[in-house]
Amino acid sequence: MKFRGIAAFLLILVPFGFASVVAKAEDTVKIGLIEPFSGPIAAVGRDTLEGFEYYADYVNARGGVLGGRQIEIVPLDNAMNAEKTTQQLRKAIDDGIRFVSQGVGSNHALNIIKFLGKHNRRNPDESILFLNHSAVTTSFTNELCSFWHVRFDANVDMKVAALATQIGRDPSVSKLYMLNQNYAYGQAFQSAAQQFLGERAPNVELVGDELIVPFGKVLDFTPYIAKIKASGADTVLTGNWGPDLVRFVKAAAASGLQTPFYTIYGGLPSSIAGFGGKDGVAVGIKQITEMHENDANFNGTPEFEEMNNGWTEYSGKSMYSERLGWVVLMFAMAVDKAGTDDPAAVAAAFEGLTYEGPGGAVTIRAEDHQAHFPMVISTMSDQVERPFLYNNESFGVGWQTDAWVTADELTLPTTCDMKRP
Amino acid sequence: MESFIFALFNGVLYGMLLFMLASGLTLIFSMMGVLNFAHASFFMLGAYFAYSISTYVGFWPALIVAPLIVGVVGALVERYGLRPVHSYGHVAELLFTFGIAYVIEEIVKMIWGQVPVPYDIPESLNFTLFAWAGLDYSAYRVFMLLVSVGIFVALFALLTKTRIGLIIRAAVSDPTHVATLGHDVPTIFMWTFGFGCALAGVAGVLGGNVLGTEPAMALQLGPIVFVVIVVGGLGSLGGALIAALLIGIIQTMAIFYDFGINAALLAVGIEIDAAGMFRDFARITTAQASPVIPYLLLVLMLIFRPRGMFGTRDV
Repeated sequence: MKFRGIAAFLLILVPFGFASVVAKAEDTVKIGLIEPFSGPIAAVGRDTLEGFEYYADYVNARGGVLGGRQIEIVPLDNAMNAEKTTQQLRKAIDDGIRFVSQGVGSNHALNIIKFLGKHNRRNPDESILFLNHSAVTTSFTNELCSFWHVRFDANVDMKVAALATQIGRDPSVSKLYMLNQNYAYGQAFQSAAQQFLGERAPNVELVGDELIVPFGKVLDFTPYIAKIKASGADTVLTGNWGPDLVRFVKAAAASGLQTPFYTIYGGLPSSIAGFGGKDGVAVGIKQITEMHENDANFNGTPEFEEMNNGWTEYSGKSMYSERLGWVVLMFAMAVDKAGTDDPAAVAAAFEGLTYEGPGGAVTIRAEDHQAHFPMVISTMSDQVERPFLYNNESFGVGWQTDAWVTADELTLPTTCDMKRP
Repeated sequence: MESFIFALFNGVLYGMLLFMLASGLTLIFSMMGVLNFAHASFFMLGAYFAYSISTYVGFWPALIVAPLIVGVVGALVERYGLRPVHSYGHVAELLFTFGIAYVIEEIVKMIWGQVPVPYDIPESLNFTLFAWAGLDYSAYRVFMLLVSVGIFVALFALLTKTRIGLIIRAAVSDPTHVATLGHDVPTIFMWTFGFGCALAGVAGVLGGNVLGTEPAMALQLGPIVFVVIVVGGLGSLGGALIAALLIGIIQTMAIFYDFGINAALLAVGIEIDAAGMFRDFARITTAQASPVIPYLLLVLMLIFRPRGMFGTRDV
């Protein structure tokens, strides 16, 4: 009976809980964040939410948007199920949310783009704008481009072009071995690399070009390491992530392979935690990002330093995705520029919008709604001023800048033929 | 020729890792007949316990203590979970262990978080023992090989040369007779299960730092250990060893001697439309197909010889 009493008491509390949320939410500008907050990669979703909330607080503490309205982040759990992403999108629309953001998993982003394509055409008064923070499939800003989609991350082609640019400039690279995961993303990485290496690193010989069955199916990478060794490669280029990257790096370190790895995802907290800082430094992991904490550009400006130190204090983590900040800060700029929170006006305001980030200008290209910005290629090192922090624990390693690739070098032609309302 | 021996050697190293992963399951699945879907979860627990223990007292105590804890957890799971379910048959057991696998995964996430933990190879074995064809082989890889061989020898001796082994085998085939002779059959099963889990724990301690210690590792490794057991043959420890080595060597060779399907078909005089309808098929290479090989082997084995290579009874 006692238990029932407690349960009843809790049930009574529930409506009050909701009521207070509703009261608070009344004149906020809401961004629905659809990410996995449960399931195997919930950590990524929670880190993303933490970033969004931090920057929303940052904007709100400085007066919010439209002369005093607050930005509110509404988490919506998709449990890494693309079908659920669509359900959560419907729920967001029912709840009157007009801006949604997502980034973990391009298949989810594709569902959102397709759904909004129909929804916004049928309900022009209830249109929704999609802020894509990390889904990198290139076609989203090419043949699938939409007025209702803005991408803040560089797409696969841009990242690979940046890596190829740096590989072409790196005098120590003459023979390159490429290994990727055999699914949509890995194949896109492979074909982009084949194209851009030819254009931007013509003196580099591709001595291996391998696809593997993805997502942890390969347990032992030693035979691949032996092939890399036998091919005489001096550098490895890989788009791998998750266990396919962790085991690859561990096997390379265990076999004493002395060839740096150019990667996209080598710096993900889960990657570093997986293969360990020592192996990462031994192999020579390189990553491409929009910024890292040990770059000279990073520390010069008091505003960015304050923003970043605040983030580390708030979350106990080093900055990994600088762009999460851009999403919220540029969203605030776009809303203020539009003078309204009408998604169509905000989407139009994003076109050509520029934000001065620590690495240089971030500009949303009007033709395809793709952000353009300089990117930095860096190498993992244990001799850094700021080692990478995750949940207040230091990995003991951080990043050292190799070189910057300018926004112009990353600017690729688009096939987008945008239909504006 | 040297490259062939080199590939063979790598295949054996990998195969013995597979055998180590599967060794505890040989005991539980082949001897007791329990479909332990959670075997890889006990493996994962071993890796996580070893990580936590080794941060305090180092790797060597962890190698002893972690499997013991996993073994006790396994014995408790058998005593208070599996035993009541046992009388409802194999399907109920399978469903139970299926549930346990998810429970363990969630508990691991709650305690150690979602992100992989930095469980590393011990410093004392992290030196190059020898180099071959430009690749370093660390003392740790060789140590794993030795432990794996040790597990095989010890298990083999236990099951065939000792009284305990005799009773275990008798308890599987004739539980009522063994009980009539005064042996406590449920307790025998409990400790056999616990011992099998402890072996998974040993594999976790040794394999976790090579394969990466993360919450998803159990689901990734679960299927392959079943393949080893079924292909080797139920009830056969030697069969499991040979199946593990076979799979290890075939997979390694497939990556080493990488050739395309199309080239192979052309070599035997079959020409297919490599640019048209069979475009994707023709592009497949043996290296890409290598992770599928064990499962193909499993399917073929079940069709043509359901009892596996050295099995004494059908699946």
